[in-house]
Amino acid sequence: MTLVAASAADVREAVLSTDGPLLPVAGATKPALSTAQDTAATPLDVSALRGITSYDPAELTFTARAGTPVREAAAALAEHGQYLPFDPPLADAGATLGGAVAAGVSGSGAFRHGGVRDFIIGVRLVDGTGSLIAGGGQVVKNAAGFDLPKLMVGSAGRLGVLTELSFKVFPHPRATTTLSFEPLGRDAALATVARLARGPVALDALDVEPTPDGSRRILARIGGDPAALDARAVRLASYVEAPHERLAPDEETALWRDTGELRWAAPGALVARIPVTAPAIPMLDAFLAAHRAAARWTLGANAVWVAWPAELPPRELGDALAGLGLTAVALTGTGGPLLGARRGGAFAARVRGALDPDGRFAGADLA
Amino acid sequence: MNDVVAALGGIGLGDRLLTGPAALAAFSSDAQTAFQQRAIAVVVAETVGEVQAAVRVCHAAGVPFVARGSGTSLSGGSLPVEGGVLIALNRMNRVLRVDADTRTAVVEPGVINLDVTRAATPHGLYYAPDPSSQSICTIGGNIAFNSGGAHCLLHGMTSNHVLGVRVVLPDGELAELGGPSAETPGPDWTGLFCGSEGLFGIVVEATLRLMPVPEAVRTSLAVYDSLEAAGDAVAQIVRAGLLPVALEIMDALAIEAAEASVKPGYPPGATALLIVELEGERDVVDADAARLDALLTASGAREFLATEDLDERALIWKGRKAAFSAVGWLAPDYIVQDGVVPRTRLGEALVEIGRMSEESGIRVANVFHAGDGNLHPLILFDSAVPGELERAERLGGDILRLCIALGGSITGEHGVGIEKREYLPLMYAPDDLAAMRRLRDGVDPAGLANPGKMLAPEAA
Amino acid sequence: MRHALPMAQIGPQAEPMARAIGACVHCGFCLPSCPTYVELGEEMDSPRGRIILMKEALEGTIELEAALPHVDRCLGCLACVSACPSGVQYGELLTPFRAYAEPRRKRGVLERVQRRLVLQTLPYPRRLRLAARAARLARPVARVLPTSLATMLRLLPRELPAAQPLPHIVPAEGERRARVALLAGCAQQVLDPDITAAAIRVLARNGVEVVIPADQGCCGALASHTGAAAQARAHARATMAAFPRDVDAVITTAAGCGSGMQEYGTLLLGEPDHDDAAQFAGGVVDVCAFLAELGLREAPATRAPVTVAYQDACHLAHAQGVHSAPRQLLDAIVGVTLIEVPEAELCCGSAGTYNVEQPEIAAALGRRKAVNLSATGAHVVASGNIGCMTQISTHLSELGHDLPVLHTIQLLDRAYARTM
Ligand SMILES: Cc1cc2nc3c(=O)[nH]c(=O)nc-3n(C[C@H](O)[C@H](O)[C@H](O)COP(=O)(O)OP(=O)(O)OC[C@H]3O[C@@H](n4cnc5c(N)ncnc54)[C@H](O)[C@@H]3O)c2cc1C
Ligand code: SF4
Ligand code: SF4
Repeated sequence: MTLVAASAADVREAVLSTDGPLLPVAGATKPALSTAQDTAATPLDVSALRGITSYDPAELTFTARAGTPVREAAAALAEHGQYLPFDPPLADAGATLGGAVAAGVSGSGAFRHGGVRDFIIGVRLVDGTGSLIAGGGQVVKNAAGFDLPKLMVGSAGRLGVLTELSFKVFPHPRATTTLSFEPLGRDAALATVARLARGPVALDALDVEPTPDGSRRILARIGGDPAALDARAVRLASYVEAPHERLAPDEETALWRDTGELRWAAPGALVARIPVTAPAIPMLDAFLAAHRAAARWTLGANAVWVAWPAELPPRELGDALAGLGLTAVALTGTGGPLLGARRGGAFAARVRGALDPDGRFAGADLA
Repeated sequence: MNDVVAALGGIGLGDRLLTGPAALAAFSSDAQTAFQQRAIAVVVAETVGEVQAAVRVCHAAGVPFVARGSGTSLSGGSLPVEGGVLIALNRMNRVLRVDADTRTAVVEPGVINLDVTRAATPHGLYYAPDPSSQSICTIGGNIAFNSGGAHCLLHGMTSNHVLGVRVVLPDGELAELGGPSAETPGPDWTGLFCGSEGLFGIVVEATLRLMPVPEAVRTSLAVYDSLEAAGDAVAQIVRAGLLPVALEIMDALAIEAAEASVKPGYPPGATALLIVELEGERDVVDADAARLDALLTASGAREFLATEDLDERALIWKGRKAAFSAVGWLAPDYIVQDGVVPRTRLGEALVEIGRMSEESGIRVANVFHAGDGNLHPLILFDSAVPGELERAERLGGDILRLCIALGGSITGEHGVGIEKREYLPLMYAPDDLAAMRRLRDGVDPAGLANPGKMLAPEAA
Repeated sequence: MRHALPMAQIGPQAEPMARAIGACVHCGFCLPSCPTYVELGEEMDSPRGRIILMKEALEGTIELEAALPHVDRCLGCLACVSACPSGVQYGELLTPFRAYAEPRRKRGVLERVQRRLVLQTLPYPRRLRLAARAARLARPVARVLPTSLATMLRLLPRELPAAQPLPHIVPAEGERRARVALLAGCAQQVLDPDITAAAIRVLARNGVEVVIPADQGCCGALASHTGAAAQARAHARATMAAFPRDVDAVITTAAGCGSGMQEYGTLLLGEPDHDDAAQFAGGVVDVCAFLAELGLREAPATRAPVTVAYQDACHLAHAQGVHSAPRQLLDAIVGVTLIEVPEAELCCGSAGTYNVEQPEIAAALGRRKAVNLSATGAHVVASGNIGCMTQISTHLSELGHDLPVLHTIQLLDRAYARTM
């Protein structure tokens, strides 16, 4: 049975009146998060909690209900030349703002200015005691009280049900272009990514996609004043020892959209995102290659997207990650929301106990 | 109480366990000297083990403890608590690692903010958050307050640059939060710890994000005949879609103080100064500079200059960064407020503060992070004059209420501490505060870590 | 910062002390420049901490004896004054406080003897000469002496340069551009008389007539900075009496003396001759500041290129605010490449009698300075104070780097004479 909430009051009601654990769901684009692994949790559909509640373009902030589709928010922002710099994935598939925050996963575009945690400024949520609580605010800077908005990033619906969110936003780059480089070997690609990330050319995105022969194709996007774009593209190319192609405008738009929609992953695969740093990549990459799991580096080698073949048990991935001291956030498939090592130790357990003392959320699979 | 001191004596601190009257006097306040309190002992820690041992002793004895970095808190955050122990971390000041490839640094909590950049500079990297106190404040203190600075407009606050922390929880247990990656899987425990004002325990190690040193930095200084005109210019810059790294305003009184102090040589007779800094890639800065100059010209600036010269830029910033302490030249005492208003309502807020200042007969100097609406009204008074302190405090409270009424916050970067804890309930509803208390009680059931800060003691 | 000093009880010095305390906003900006804070990392040994301690000791909320160890550890380098954005004149609190504390404090026998020894020796050239000779004899037993006395001995050179009789007046070469009176300095005259001689030559060469008052003695800075106020006042009065007033400036070559003399006004606060003292103090100028202001007639040149590391003397840079003048002069020498020293603002640990009173910290700071200086790779170290020069060269040679350490004016002199 699925419960439905159309207001914060409905959410409270659901939390207080349900016996077994609840699990909020809205766009259902990240089933690994919105289905519980070990418990028969009751889904709480919050997609009706929808709509932007305030947006003043001059303020560069907006507030929306948690079930608001990313696409809807992006369209409203675009009217004023603004955007969500953390570039939440699966927007076209119907991802919601609440889901983006709960997943804590950003898109390729987050390379420039930061991820979800860097742009969320306020939350309202219903916690496990059924109280509707607010944290943060609607101004871009706020050091008053505990930073609940950040805690909700990546909380996977297991610490509370988000009802309303406030973000800061930035002006959209006035023009963008993307260079696609001829594939390199793994080590050369890693070294190049490190050089680009430290270099002077400010990149909007820095991804590396696998090619069928096991090489690596670097994709780098720049954005900004159209007048400076050509010169910058030339300069960017000079940092890479591989020939490049500058994508046509519609091509580059399609490339980044498809990347964000995870269209590169085989249908049915378990798609997960693994935060890493470059030194961890060779071992991880070798393991994934051995299992024919496509691995796409993103955020300048600060995260790896993996498409784990549907036929392989997710546990195998989890065990390997744990061995490497890594953790994945699964978006699709089963076995989520987290695979591999757990973080936060006693602190995590105590915080969870404080927000959900009676186990109203399907949080056992979190810590 | 003597038992605690004796037990602390057993953890091998030697002469780094301070209990003499001089030490207790010297450690009795932070930079907010209106509050004074002697600790029963000061532990000058040098290792994680010592911090852990000291916390365990306190926990076993039920004695409260307060972490202290450099004691530059402006809100009484590192003020000792009565009957409590102060744990000084300023000697845990090693930069453990700078990793150029992953653009991260691992540091001990007592490392001075600017020393992170000093260590990163040889790698072409720097640490972005730059509180004006960066030459002395510590990373631990920055994390506890989620400190900001002039350049946080574009780059974000401390918590946006802290990837992971190792912490000693209030019962002495160690926990690792986050990691070296720019992204965290699962709940952002690190994000929650940042800004927790020492109530969740003590940071003993932090992994920080470094950024490439920008190849071009261009600082503009524009002179206006009114504060409103400067404020309008900010709004225009934001509306035009420019992304400066810093947008700062100083009013006449703040300019006067800066000139009296570090003599930056600002254009004479200015009623308001606007500092705008662009940084980044050469081509981008050049393109943006052209648009910015046009905007500033159109904004009615009486004059403006722009420079990329290191020394000239340093001079412009020197006046701005010294502004707080510099008001010591204008008045014997000051309170600095840290309220935030929506940036579109800055003008309104300033006019109202001016009116309140006139009404109360207490002078207010304004220097603020205009780009993100973070005001720093410096309330000038003389505590030797009967009644002035009370009037100044009242004015401070009125300003905070104004910020809340305009939809803002009581603090943008200095933290609630002890000074503003009575105002937190004006910002958050009882349920919100109850949840914060639950979090605090969950992490620190005995309530020993920096009690009485941020959250006022509950009425019995 | 608020205070409740018993003003009347403290006397005329209470006013500047209260002003310094009142101006301190406890911001901590002075901490990183304070050598004792950097070394010891404890609030009591920081400028901000000492201000609190002196305030509380004066107010009576802590015992004087509790505050004193930390006040004693203060080098009086005044780096905190340069660093302070709030304009706290820390020296105007410290010096009177030391004078206030001296008669009220308990000192052990050894300490007393040692203190008297120093105060009765260093400022008197003849006694210092004698002492140095005795010290040379005592060197073999230094190991069994208390550290502080041993340190004093260690810092005295093995061979003292011959005493140089000084002329009373040296005419300007060419057209006269100024007329000044020169303080020869007491300890300096014994340890390195060439500094005064060099100053006279360089001044004369640049068109300055130099008067060297015959009956001048110690300026009293040493006594003043260590809290021996009565002795300091006596020295000050004698100095003022010895110096002519019909000069454009009173020139000092030792930064410690210069800063002490510039404080005569504060020293004689509440005394009948205060106004005269304040006026006299206003005319005291460091030789480099004076020359930089006057402008060199011709730029000297070295025979071969030489890199010079300039180390600020605290009493020049921080107490007198003379920062760029010596650099300008050095930069003007053709052939000199000037390099800045890491942690330049940090005191070398010399500071008057500090070596004797706080030998461990002094040695740690001396070592730190020597390491920083040798890291620059310079050929020569230049500074503006005899005490610093002695300390620096001792620690440099302990590190095995026997770089020449010269006074800025000596470098100019040698370049003019083309002996360098
Ligand atoms: C003149 C002046 C200018 C300033 N300018 C700015 C500015 O521009 N922006 C800004 O944000 N702030 C500013 N501040 C405020 C202050 O410098 C910051 O709050 C700074 O982060 C405090 O650092 P600290 O090391 O002095 O910490 P402290 O004052 O020692 O402590 C601050 C808080 O952190 C806690 N704490 C310290 N170390 C740890 C640790 N390791 N683990 C857990 N908790 C810890 C303490 O308990 C206390 O609650 C300014 C202060 C002054 C005096
Ligand atoms: S810098 Fe000045 S005002 Fe600040 S603590 Fe030091 S002496 Fe006081
Ligand atoms: S005079 Fe020097 S040693 Fe003394 S407090 Fe100031 S900086 Fe520190």
